[in-house]
Amino acid sequence: MPATMFEKIWTDHVIVAAPEGEDLLYVDLNFVNEGGAFLAFDQLRMERRTVRRPMQNLPITDHYIPTVNRHLGIPGISNPEIRHVVAMQDDNAREFGLPHIHMHHHNQGIAHVVAPELGLALPGMLITCNDSHTATNGALGAIASPIGASMQLRHVLATQAVWLKKPKTMRITLDGMLPLGVWAKDVILSVIHRIGIGGAAGYCVEYAGSAIRAMSMEGRLTVCNMSIEAGARLGMIAPDDTTFSYLAERPLAPKGDAWEAALTYWQTVLSDEEATFDREWHFDVTTLAPIVTWGTSPEDCSSIDGVVPDPSAMTDAEHRSHAERALQYMRLTPGTRLAQIAIDRVFIGSCTNSRIEDLRAAAQVLKGRRASVPGMVSPGSTNVKKQAEAEGLDRIFLAAGLEWRDSGCSMCNGSNGELVAPGERCASTTNRNFEGRQGRGALTHIMSPAMVAAAAVAGKLTDVRTLMKS
Amino acid sequence: MKPFTVLTAVAVPVRLDKVDTGMILPGRFMRQHRRPGHDYANAFLHDLRFDESEALRPEFPLNDESYRGAEIMVVGADFGCGSSREGAACAVLDYGLRALVASNFGEIFAANCLQNGILPVYLSQWVIEEIWRQLENAPGSRITIDLPAQTLKAPDESVHSFEINKTRKERLVRGLDDVDVTLQYMDQISKYENERRKPWLVGDSAVRRAVEDGGR
Repeated sequence: MPATMFEKIWTDHVIVAAPEGEDLLYVDLNFVNEGGAFLAFDQLRMERRTVRRPMQNLPITDHYIPTVNRHLGIPGISNPEIRHVVAMQDDNAREFGLPHIHMHHHNQGIAHVVAPELGLALPGMLITCNDSHTATNGALGAIASPIGASMQLRHVLATQAVWLKKPKTMRITLDGMLPLGVWAKDVILSVIHRIGIGGAAGYCVEYAGSAIRAMSMEGRLTVCNMSIEAGARLGMIAPDDTTFSYLAERPLAPKGDAWEAALTYWQTVLSDEEATFDREWHFDVTTLAPIVTWGTSPEDCSSIDGVVPDPSAMTDAEHRSHAERALQYMRLTPGTRLAQIAIDRVFIGSCTNSRIEDLRAAAQVLKGRRASVPGMVSPGSTNVKKQAEAEGLDRIFLAAGLEWRDSGCSMCNGSNGELVAPGERCASTTNRNFEGRQGRGALTHIMSPAMVAAAAVAGKLTDVRTLMKS
Repeated sequence: MKPFTVLTAVAVPVRLDKVDTGMILPGRFMRQHRRPGHDYANAFLHDLRFDESEALRPEFPLNDESYRGAEIMVVGADFGCGSSREGAACAVLDYGLRALVASNFGEIFAANCLQNGILPVYLSQWVIEEIWRQLENAPGSRITIDLPAQTLKAPDESVHSFEINKTRKERLVRGLDDVDVTLQYMDQISKYENERRKPWLVGDSAVRRAVEDGGR
């Protein structure tokens, strides 16, 4: 029977099938960030349980560590609560005998950046992590599922398996060639805008089409990363030559005979041509323009040449009341041109847009220019940071007046204390513009790295294409 | 886990859409061990319940005395969207709620609720609107949720069916914990590892190398 890629990989991991309910699935690799994971370890301790397969569970500290003065170590973290969370992860990894990419590790970075770049995330795998952006790894052709940080994580640690309800399947076909100045971030924002933040809830999304095929691994990781912003816990892209070339360069991907065996298998996990999806969407990317958000949900977005919408013109009552509240929070007036909105700072980073290609795109805009607002750049991993420095990107950011930081989740959600101040407006490469996401009262506009760089230069939201022409 | 069978309780209407997990449990509250006496009850929807000076916002329904003791909250669409922070479901539990009713929930959040013994009830938006109206017209009214029958009885006695995945329903009704259930299948898990796992994944040397030498 024809099957989708998702169905093949899912079936390959089923230990106990429960039609109408949840299946028990095998977990190849589980990543553990420190955000909330202490709840799982607390539970294991109370129940006197151990971790069943320590080498298939990799704690990566990313959410709470500072991106400056890291040489001071855990004692150097001034906020006692934040320090406590980082210390708990250290202690828990040690006590339960787990490997740990800690704050001083040379592979340190954001989990969803580190896993693909090292070659730990592979096609055909079932991966879990206590983070909603776990689907990032699906860009390689894996099922990568978010799990809860306490009860579900504790279950994976204790059993190396997870109970999950099999989602329905959705294919989003994106065809056409991306115009200059338009990036993967704009593509996924346009999808979220079209289908809504609940549009893919209950589905595993497979992204397909010529626009995806033409996209780099970095771009694909960005697309899958924001699946959850459309409501989908899982997002995937079929592995192809781009994937295999990327993996061939990963230090920890299979080598030699193992590589050949893996490659043979990977070519069997693609969706069959006759396979059917429960839902299909088709979009053309040819006419896309750079996109920015204006509201407090990722679906509240428009191309940069648009205006702040007028809630009173919205026919749907739910949309209207959300937009009214969003504009009040964002301190914006209907009809204002988006390209006239002044900003106070910028942030380039997060699991969405902090890979080398993202930093190159931002640096290309900033080269020879000065930022007119403060801001920081936090590379997605220590390896990305090294690579960027080898290419001289750090000097471009510094010369522009931005801060060049260490790697971590940082200002995306501010759990490490690096926050946007109340009432401050931030152009950000991150994934969420929810109320208070970057700090209480913080006003977030999300967009691509190139667009953030353009906003930094102009001091307001700006069409990056105007800077690319000059 | 506390079993959930039939619950009759005061229900509080909260007419807000897209309340994300960051609003349910603001980040600054989730940095400590959660244990008895130091739970997330105060943090629950904190910035909606309290203003900048920590004074109660009287207009917020949870602060309305007439809904005192509510164990059911009827909320707008997409409640619990956003990040997967598990503590959000804990905050719901610690505050004293046992069931949430909405037309849609953040998926991860809903799963976390079920793991913590809280029932998310999915009803159509028009039913939600109707229940809001009834609750606001007679604050303090009760709702009955019958999980075995998968029905919700509104204050006006109208009965509405809801869907729930079979596995979660069984475990919630019986108060069964996932790990205890899985332990019955340990032989199958070992068998999977020995017979079905891809050879190029077995050994997990990649993780060891990631932490030991970074693959260099």
